[in-house]
Amino acid sequence: MSEAPTRPRSRGQLLFTIGIGMLIALLVIAAFGPLIAPYNPSTTSPNSLAEPTAAHWLGTDSIGRDLLSRLIVGGRSTLIITFAAVALALGAGLVLGLTSGYLGGKVDLTIMRLLDVVFAFPVFLLAIAVVAALGPTVRNLILTIAIVYTPAMARVVRGPVLSVKRWDHVEAARSVGVGEFAIALRHVLPMVVSPILVQTSLILANTIFTVTALSFLGLGPPPPDPNWGSMLAEARQFMELAPLTVIGPAVAIVFASLTFIVLANGLREMLDVGSR
Amino acid sequence: MTGAPATLLEVRDLTATFSRDGVPSRVVNAISFDIAPGEAVGFVGESGSGKSVTARAVMRLAPEGSSIEWGGRIRFKGQELLNLTEREMRDVRGRRIAMVFQDPMASLNPVMSVGQQIDDMLVRHTGVSARAARKRTVELLSLVGIRDPQIRADDFPHQFSGGMRQRVLIAIAVSCQPDLLIADEPTTALDVTVQAQILRLLMRLRRELGMALMLITHDFGVIAGMVERVYVMHGGNIVEAGEVDALFAEPKHAYTQALLAAVPRIESTRRPA
Amino acid sequence: MLRMILVRLALTVPILLGVSIIAFGLMRALPGDFVLAAAGTTSVSDEVIATMRASLGLDRPIWEQYGIWFGNALTGDLGYSFATKKSVASELLPRLAVTAELTLMAGLLAMLMGVTTGLASARLRGRTDWAVRGLNSLLLAVPNFVIATLIVLLFGLYFPTIGIFNYVPFAKDPLGNIGSLLLPALSLALTVSVTISENTRAAVLEVSSQDYVMVARAKGLLARTILGNYLVRNALTPVITVTGLQLAALLGGSILIETIFTIPGMGQYLFDSVSRRDYPVIQAIVLVSSTIVLLMNVLVDIAYARVDARVSYE
Repeated sequence: MSEAPTRPRSRGQLLFTIGIGMLIALLVIAAFGPLIAPYNPSTTSPNSLAEPTAAHWLGTDSIGRDLLSRLIVGGRSTLIITFAAVALALGAGLVLGLTSGYLGGKVDLTIMRLLDVVFAFPVFLLAIAVVAALGPTVRNLILTIAIVYTPAMARVVRGPVLSVKRWDHVEAARSVGVGEFAIALRHVLPMVVSPILVQTSLILANTIFTVTALSFLGLGPPPPDPNWGSMLAEARQFMELAPLTVIGPAVAIVFASLTFIVLANGLREMLDVGSR
Repeated sequence: MTGAPATLLEVRDLTATFSRDGVPSRVVNAISFDIAPGEAVGFVGESGSGKSVTARAVMRLAPEGSSIEWGGRIRFKGQELLNLTEREMRDVRGRRIAMVFQDPMASLNPVMSVGQQIDDMLVRHTGVSARAARKRTVELLSLVGIRDPQIRADDFPHQFSGGMRQRVLIAIAVSCQPDLLIADEPTTALDVTVQAQILRLLMRLRRELGMALMLITHDFGVIAGMVERVYVMHGGNIVEAGEVDALFAEPKHAYTQALLAAVPRIESTRRPA
Repeated sequence: MLRMILVRLALTVPILLGVSIIAFGLMRALPGDFVLAAAGTTSVSDEVIATMRASLGLDRPIWEQYGIWFGNALTGDLGYSFATKKSVASELLPRLAVTAELTLMAGLLAMLMGVTTGLASARLRGRTDWAVRGLNSLLLAVPNFVIATLIVLLFGLYFPTIGIFNYVPFAKDPLGNIGSLLLPALSLALTVSVTISENTRAAVLEVSSQDYVMVARAKGLLARTILGNYLVRNALTPVITVTGLQLAALLGGSILIETIFTIPGMGQYLFDSVSRRDYPVIQAIVLVSSTIVLLMNVLVDIAYARVDARVSYE
């Protein structure tokens, strides 16, 4: 009953290309947002909850601010926090995962136990608690999210390291006297790259969720900068009157997450990581 | 149908074609053979010779996830098997033709007791009640040489050794008294000491139940004493066929000779002609 | 087996301690704020602050404070809410029950959807497989609170007569209670069902290629027997354990869903407490949720071990 299999590699490349395209769109918006936006996102007007018109392509929100502009500029803080947090988590995860996996033994055990503590928390609740305690500044958000995702990253890195460590050419290099650090860098690291790329994309998608969810609850970067999560929350009040105020941010959030998921799927099929 | 057919299984021009990524490859090349009722026939060849695929052909069991195209004719008790629907084929499998596979370690469902795995066979094909099935199951376990069958029937596969698991699998295979039992490398995965026991068990059951036996193996040593006739396979073809004794004494085909030479013999000084 | 369970539980203890320390430490990060939060107002005299510090035990060394707090927590005393002055435990328990019900419903729904689509994907392959996997990827991109908000919008626009904000307690009206939790549970379940679906698909594919499935086919068993007893029974065990691990995600999501659908659960309690800076409550909730997640992880490990005994070949 099985049809001829489509070749994963080319489909992967297609997905990857689409993902990159979406990513570029996101980055452009993040970088040049205020320049592209037709209006100043904070400018209020008496023309509230307006339908889409030529002047306001997506209408306005409850205090007359142009929705399109707010969406464009709103992506900025979300994306900056996302990228910064994941970059940090990646760095920390790499260090911890490589060390733990490569050195093994007691070091491995200790590090993993420590990470287990963070892992035990429902991730989102932990983020809420921390941000609540330390205050919702951009810096705190980045740090919190980075800490929360570091264990996942470390685990992803550690896995391949553990298996590669035993490979023959690593043994060979060791027997010739190549230093441990050099071995780790030149032999182990390249093998680890593919699963890390895939995981990073997935974690990026997840982070978008966490950041927008936090701002939805009012724990995101404080106003007046718009961001998608809080826009969604505010829109709830009058949503039947102006559905676009809900649909706009919703689509934006989904687009951003989808970018990374498409990238992850594309990478997965291209690099043949865990293909079935 | 007037009168029972003389041949139990009549295979003509059987071909099996694998398709991988749209590229077909023929693994069995228009072979023909017969098995009479109650007869024991051996199929010998190295791996890749197509002997296992031939066995699967009779049961029409393609491996999961791959597709095989069968060609030719397989007449079993006068009925053309390749024309049957999958549903009709399910009525044949286990009931009329049964099979024992190579690796007993992975062949039993880990989450069902061994008793249940014989029960479900009996209930399915003979429609008896669960209680009657369990009674018969215990008898079968005893028949294949499992001690304390009453208790052991409730044990799980991981509580049995490899040899015992193979006995259970044989019990499953003969439970509905099939006309033909196909054994595909039944002893290859077992310890040498256990191999002989299993082979003796198969011989005994065949005698007592009057089944025909199709024994597939790569080892000529296994064939000796077990079967009456042998087909030698190589590269998807039958290269030689004949009575066992004749073949041992005077193998005609170069390949048969090579296979025979590979068997360690007591009379080591003499080599086959 | 029993020994293994005890060992596993014992290993949880240091993690639990670590969790409690973090939960405790977080809220004490700004001690000055703590007292002011307790007072409930910023305009308060120094004497009052001093008295409050003493009554809250803030003048004791920090590890003593921790010890007292943790010791109390073990006996069920989770402190007193700054806002309502009532015992946190008494307020938390009923809300925890509500969240538990929501989470359970969401878990069941997720399993139902996930197992069905995963099974279909694995057995039917071809177009179905492609469609399911595509849909799953799409669903992953939609966060649960976005789904929930869109659902509320949908009902508001097209079915304005159906009330979706009317949560009814179980004791008052069991059927209405379940009905009112259906949509919220669905919002929570959709994202989680994707993970379950992918895991089911992988598990079924793996099991299908096992020898015992081939043997089952050779036995001439009915298709539904093979599917039920041989395929699903073996594939389901890893799937159930994975679902258990999703508990953390479900608990995290519940705070969002409860806020949107105005359900008086633990999540909403947390949210209110965060707004009001009601630190004892926040601490307690973090501790309780982490404990639940930890216990669930232990259960999952035990379930794995039990299955492993049957399935592993020395």
